[in-house]
Amino acid sequence: MASEDGGSRLSAAALIGPATFIVALGLAIPMAILFRYSLNQFKPGLMMVDALTLENYVKFFSDSYYLTVFWTTVRVALSCTIICLLLGFPLAYKLARTQTRHKNLLIMLVVLPLFVGNAVRAAGWMTVFGIKGFLNTTLIWLGIIHEPLEIMFTETAVIIGIIAVNLPFMVLTLQSVIEGIDRAVEEAAFSLGAGPWEMFRRVLWPLALPGIIAGTILTFILGMNAYATPVLLGGPKFKMMAPLVFGQFQLNNWPFGAAVAFLLMLTTLCLTATANILMQRRYRR
Amino acid sequence: MSKRKSPYISRRHLLQGSAAIAGASAVGLSRGAMAQSKGKVVVGTWGGDYARLLNKNIEQPILIPAGWEVVQDQAGDPQRRSKMLAERRLPRGTTDVQGLSAVNMYQMDVAGVIDKIDYSKLKNAPNLLESMKYPYGVGHIYSGKVALYNSEVVKDAPKSYKDVFDAKHGNKLGIIDIQYQYTIVAAALAAGGSVDNVEPGKKLLLEMRKAGARIYPTNEAFAQGMKTGEIGVGIMWKARAVQWQKAGIPVVAVTPSEGAIAYVSGFVIPKNAPNKEGSYAYLDAMLEASAQENFAIDMGYNPTVTNAKVTPDLNKRIGFTPEDIKKLVNMDYKYMTENDVALKEWWDKEFKG
Repeated sequence: MASEDGGSRLSAAALIGPATFIVALGLAIPMAILFRYSLNQFKPGLMMVDALTLENYVKFFSDSYYLTVFWTTVRVALSCTIICLLLGFPLAYKLARTQTRHKNLLIMLVVLPLFVGNAVRAAGWMTVFGIKGFLNTTLIWLGIIHEPLEIMFTETAVIIGIIAVNLPFMVLTLQSVIEGIDRAVEEAAFSLGAGPWEMFRRVLWPLALPGIIAGTILTFILGMNAYATPVLLGGPKFKMMAPLVFGQFQLNNWPFGAAVAFLLMLTTLCLTATANILMQRRYRR
Repeated sequence: MSKRKSPYISRRHLLQGSAAIAGASAVGLSRGAMAQSKGKVVVGTWGGDYARLLNKNIEQPILIPAGWEVVQDQAGDPQRRSKMLAERRLPRGTTDVQGLSAVNMYQMDVAGVIDKIDYSKLKNAPNLLESMKYPYGVGHIYSGKVALYNSEVVKDAPKSYKDVFDAKHGNKLGIIDIQYQYTIVAAALAAGGSVDNVEPGKKLLLEMRKAGARIYPTNEAFAQGMKTGEIGVGIMWKARAVQWQKAGIPVVAVTPSEGAIAYVSGFVIPKNAPNKEGSYAYLDAMLEASAQENFAIDMGYNPTVTNAKVTPDLNKRIGFTPEDIKKLVNMDYKYMTENDVALKEWWDKEFKG
């Protein structure tokens, strides 16, 4: 038996090995290059001069402007993730438990927004949020407001835009996990006297946790790295990290751009890993 | 059971032989065809209208009939400049010509990634305006930064950059974020500064911001603001104003009395371009009078060759008077290259912040 186990392990390693190697290489080499660039110096005209300096990181952490951009990004990504979870869970639950023959159609409706690119979708929001956009015109027409609301080029517009992009990812991830939870477990909780909230807290939530972790990680990463939505809906005064990285490369300032990109990646990685560990510990019973 | 070789040619052998002859003929034919084909030219360009018009006015009517295969590598100029810099150590790059603004052409020259232009290889060079003959690039089209206003929103027509950057306009003054370099220089000219002394312009811009000037992320968002009446005055390329007028946006263009800041878009040849002959063929084709005339009609930019004929009516809309041309202000490319990062940081942190 031992040799059979060893054999199957070997064949499994042989099967996943090449792909893992290619992915690891494809990830590790660009990251190493990016990190190396971030230690170089920027000289106008010469663009990038070979050096070994931490000045780009010092610049980032010592300038309140860049720190504000950083915290804005974390705040927006966290807000979007929490709202996506709150909005997505009931929808995913309903989708998972529904018995209708139109279930596939309902799932398609959730996925449908993903058929449109982020930039196009943001352009759609622009027509809704503008001073003379659909929302303001309707609210004024209904007499609810008298002066148009300034929604475009605000953080609120960006959060709404990112939620619209990320919500399908959250719903689909949760739906597939909730579908795997036996309905009888919920009924058992009810028959033992648990109310809906108690059942949700003690049965559904812990069992759906793998999906919740996967969904939140996915939406958080997408939120942290959002580009088109903050640029188009946030306007010129609103900055998040991904547009900041692009802006530095536009200026040919590769070393600082690389440092910002590396910090963005590192923060996303650390925050998702920490959240994952904390949630798993909390519910490991 | 050894196989006996037949002295006769079997049907299979006949078919194989025919296929071999056909194959050989095909190789011969393709060699003949190769002799007629001049090869591939890879053109780095912005996407959208510009790429479409390069194809319509240069590639389809001139280069392709002459036997060139043209491939466009479409991307924004920051991505393409990054690509050129990333490829600098390669003996063979991936593009033969790159479309860039005059400032970016200069930057790429300083970075040492582009060839000096040998104008003797361009048959259309004698027609090229002297001001468009850069040592490191060829000017393709040009326009100028003019004052724009919507007469329904702003009653007094601006005559200068100074009239545009006036606190009386309050939140009716629109400023385009991605045009920060030209906006800072225009404000400098308005405030008595110059192309290499922009400090007075910065001070003036902060006053405008305090008065309520609106900042738009893109040219298109600015146009939308003009259309809805959210703003009524600003600065933009005259060529864009022509396009917006065509689209029904009620804007009037005025050449500023300080002299319009020139915008030049041109092409450069990367040092490691795989097909230099193709590079020069492309540059020559883009200077053909017919191509330049069509660009003026389709896009509203001025030709850079003297033999292109622009109708008086079109010239009135897109062109500049001889006096205005004399007064065109060129950016100080060296100053801009050395101070671009500092200016952008000021723009982001202090002006927009």
